Amino acid sequence: MRRRRVALCAAAAAGYAFLYVPLIIVVVYSFNNSRLNAEWVGFTLDWYDKLFHNQEMLAAAGNSLIIALVASLVSTVLGTMAGVAMYRYKTRLLPILVLTPIAIPEILMGVSLLIFFVLLNFTLGLASVALAHIAFCIGFVAIVVRARLAGMDESLTEAARDCGATPWEAFRYVTLPLIMPGVIAGALMAFTLSIDDFVITFFTAGAGTVTLPLQIYSMIKIAVTPEVNAVSTLLMLLTLALIVIASRLTPSLLRSD
Amino acid sequence: MTSRSSERFGKWLVSAPPLAYLLFFFAIPTLIMVLASFRTPGEFGGLSPLIEDGKLDFNLDSYVRFFTESVYAQIFVKSVWYALLTTLFCLLLAYPLAALIARSPKKYRDLLLLLVILPFWSNFLIRVYAWMIILGPNAAMARVVNGVLAWFGHEPVPLLFSSFAVLVCLVYVHLPFMVLPLYANLEKHDQALLDAAQDLGANGWQRFWRITFPLSLPGVYAGAALVFIPALGIFAIPDILGGPEDSLIGNVIKQQFLETRDWPFGSVLSIVLTVAALVLAGLAAWVGRSQLGTRSSGALGRA
Amino acid sequence: MKRLALLLASLLLASVLSPAAAKDQLHLYNWNNYIAPETVKRFEDSCKCEVVQTYYSDNEELLAKLAAGARGYDILVPTSNAVQPLIKGGQLKQIDKAQLPNLKNIDPAYLNTPFDPGNKYSVPYAMSLTVIGYNDQKIKELGLPTDTWAVVFEPKYLEKIKGRVTVLDSSSELFAAALKYLGYSANDVDEAQWKQAADLIKKAKPYWAAFNASSYIKELTVGNIWLVHGYSNDIFQANLDAQAAKRPFHILHGLPKEGAVLAVDNMVIHKDAPRPDLAHKFMNFMLEGKNSAELTNLIGSGNPNMDALQYIKPDIRKNPAIFPDKAMTSKLEQLKDLTTAQRRVRNRMWTEIKAGR
Repeated sequence: MRRRRVALCAAAAAGYAFLYVPLIIVVVYSFNNSRLNAEWVGFTLDWYDKLFHNQEMLAAAGNSLIIALVASLVSTVLGTMAGVAMYRYKTRLLPILVLTPIAIPEILMGVSLLIFFVLLNFTLGLASVALAHIAFCIGFVAIVVRARLAGMDESLTEAARDCGATPWEAFRYVTLPLIMPGVIAGALMAFTLSIDDFVITFFTAGAGTVTLPLQIYSMIKIAVTPEVNAVSTLLMLLTLALIVIASRLTPSLLRSD
Repeated sequence: MTSRSSERFGKWLVSAPPLAYLLFFFAIPTLIMVLASFRTPGEFGGLSPLIEDGKLDFNLDSYVRFFTESVYAQIFVKSVWYALLTTLFCLLLAYPLAALIARSPKKYRDLLLLLVILPFWSNFLIRVYAWMIILGPNAAMARVVNGVLAWFGHEPVPLLFSSFAVLVCLVYVHLPFMVLPLYANLEKHDQALLDAAQDLGANGWQRFWRITFPLSLPGVYAGAALVFIPALGIFAIPDILGGPEDSLIGNVIKQQFLETRDWPFGSVLSIVLTVAALVLAGLAAWVGRSQLGTRSSGALGRA
Repeated sequence: MKRLALLLASLLLASVLSPAAAKDQLHLYNWNNYIAPETVKRFEDSCKCEVVQTYYSDNEELLAKLAAGARGYDILVPTSNAVQPLIKGGQLKQIDKAQLPNLKNIDPAYLNTPFDPGNKYSVPYAMSLTVIGYNDQKIKELGLPTDTWAVVFEPKYLEKIKGRVTVLDSSSELFAAALKYLGYSANDVDEAQWKQAADLIKKAKPYWAAFNASSYIKELTVGNIWLVHGYSNDIFQANLDAQAAKRPFHILHGLPKEGAVLAVDNMVIHKDAPRPDLAHKFMNFMLEGKNSAELTNLIGSGNPNMDALQYIKPDIRKNPAIFPDKAMTSKLEQLKDLTTAQRRVRNRMWTEIKAGR
């Protein structure tokens, strides 16, 4: 038993190392005294200083955060509903509608949404980007929630209904807590997808809307300076802080016990 | 309200909002582009007018092109191969991670999970750049590998701008999408089952292969779908650190919409890609369902 | 749950109720780092307006977005071969020359081009050449020539720098270089000659490290890559970065004697521009020598503005890759846009090259 535990820990540690070595480079290089993200030259805090004076970059980071929060919230709600529906009721159309946005090349989806918004005379801006993000995030949440439900013990829900709970109460107090890890996992994925999306955002953003990926990708042909490393490091810390605060505010909701 | 009609009401309540959203913000826009695959490209970009000189713009040129110029199918097959490899390596790396998190004491679980996804809130581009630093010819990794190769008399092999770099980065970028679904599934496995099996004489490997793995199959398939399908269409990674031979179907599709300004052909390639991805996912799910039925039913009871 | 919802609602509200811009706004859709920040500030002061910048990193991205119907931009900065489809596709507003007295500053050699006769829609902004960039230490050591495309295409030179060369990931640029090397025009549309160029590229491909348009400058500066097919202002920047990092080598321009591609970027006004008046003000402002020179001094771009020459730093002014002499200028060509049928053929050839056929 102990030997297996050690082997598991070692394999998992290798996984974490694989995840974190590039990240450590990202953070360390935010202090790199060189314009290029290529080799370590020396230590400096200049880039953080530049970042705090860079209105464009800060505004872009703010926009990304807002869009990601809205998109992940809405897509988690809709995706959970879709996941439950797909599992419990054998719908035909929903699985296809849910999976296809994941499969379809982003550039096609971006162009088609732009054409669609223009046809509707819908002003492009933050809202159009958020709506687009929700569309492709729903699928990720739905699939995770459905996987979580697979093999779920329906007898618990039935028992609750037998005890007089309405379908909503059965869902809220029995099913939801049981699938919560799946919902959280889906929400995390949706947030990640939204905050880093470039292609779809490029096409659906309005004439003054800049998100962080748009800002950063436009630097790709000149130089992606350590300012980008700095803003990424700060964004990670900020998001981590937000999540910690949120979990303190709602401990009962996020725990699965 | 009878239980039957409340059942149906419940079904509509739960499936209608996501259905409506996706129909409006996804199905309709996509339909526009699917129809575009039957049209001709506009001479100066975009699409030709729908009705020109009284004739409807409808043809199968782009489809014919895909089926006659075989280079596109060739690149497509290569992309499937890359996506499969990515999925496999993601699974191998993600499983221990997800298992460890699922088995950890409750107070550490959320933190460990967050630690998995935290790196992915930094920007994609600088993560790839970080890999360029790690795999660069003067960095430690390349020196070690080429040192070993030199010892065997082999000429130095570039780590950067190669298929190896593309694969490593593909696995890296998709890893959390395998970890999270696996975790969501593994988290609900009952330790008591494994303890009972151990009491009955099963060793570690048997406990894993006969109990844990079959029970985790829905998570495995979910993770595989969430890795394989997006990996099939990726283009940024080969663009930035791929070698001259590492062009994938995602790159070709991007070129149709940008350089070549051939939206109809881009649509055709996209449709082929999407249909292939959905078919493969459907096949995997069907295989998974039949396997799940034979492996984990009955004796395991409370699954 | 309630508190979380409240937090999110307030965030949303904050973003929606952010002070609506009371100032006049000019929407500039440009390449990143393609205008000096001081220039923008001075313009904002002079017109008492706000310049809202959004960026693209490729002409084709701009074209795709506009073709799908995007609106809201005033000024765009496409390269000449992208101006062609924009004009023909009716995406641009005609310029009112009366509002541009500074237009006289532009060198007539760059005016009245085949794609915009009479400059009805576009005004030249900045330029670059697509040339060879190299690590002077390594290339001198190996004794390779740097004034010919042969060093990019001929295996006899390439085998000395195998895995240390990158070329641009652009079919038009690479084919142009190959065609020039073979002695044809960069705008040649004969399929047989394209086939020759494709074969040349396929023979050289095994020696190249990558097709790369984005991170090659970084790799050149660090010393991983020794020779590139790249843009003159990128190579200029790479040299500055190499000096800043105190490297033992310089990154120099190699001007191929067979000729090269000249890319002129132009200011144009979108047909649905919300503020064409501000757009014209901006254009006129950028046509002033002093303002135009700031970009050149910043990134080493070429400058078609005669009045700007006096403000440009001497070392940039003397650089033959940024301000080519008459002999070189006669061998430069601007790329022309292709027809749909030609683009299809080109793409098939390009895909075959990339697929290794």
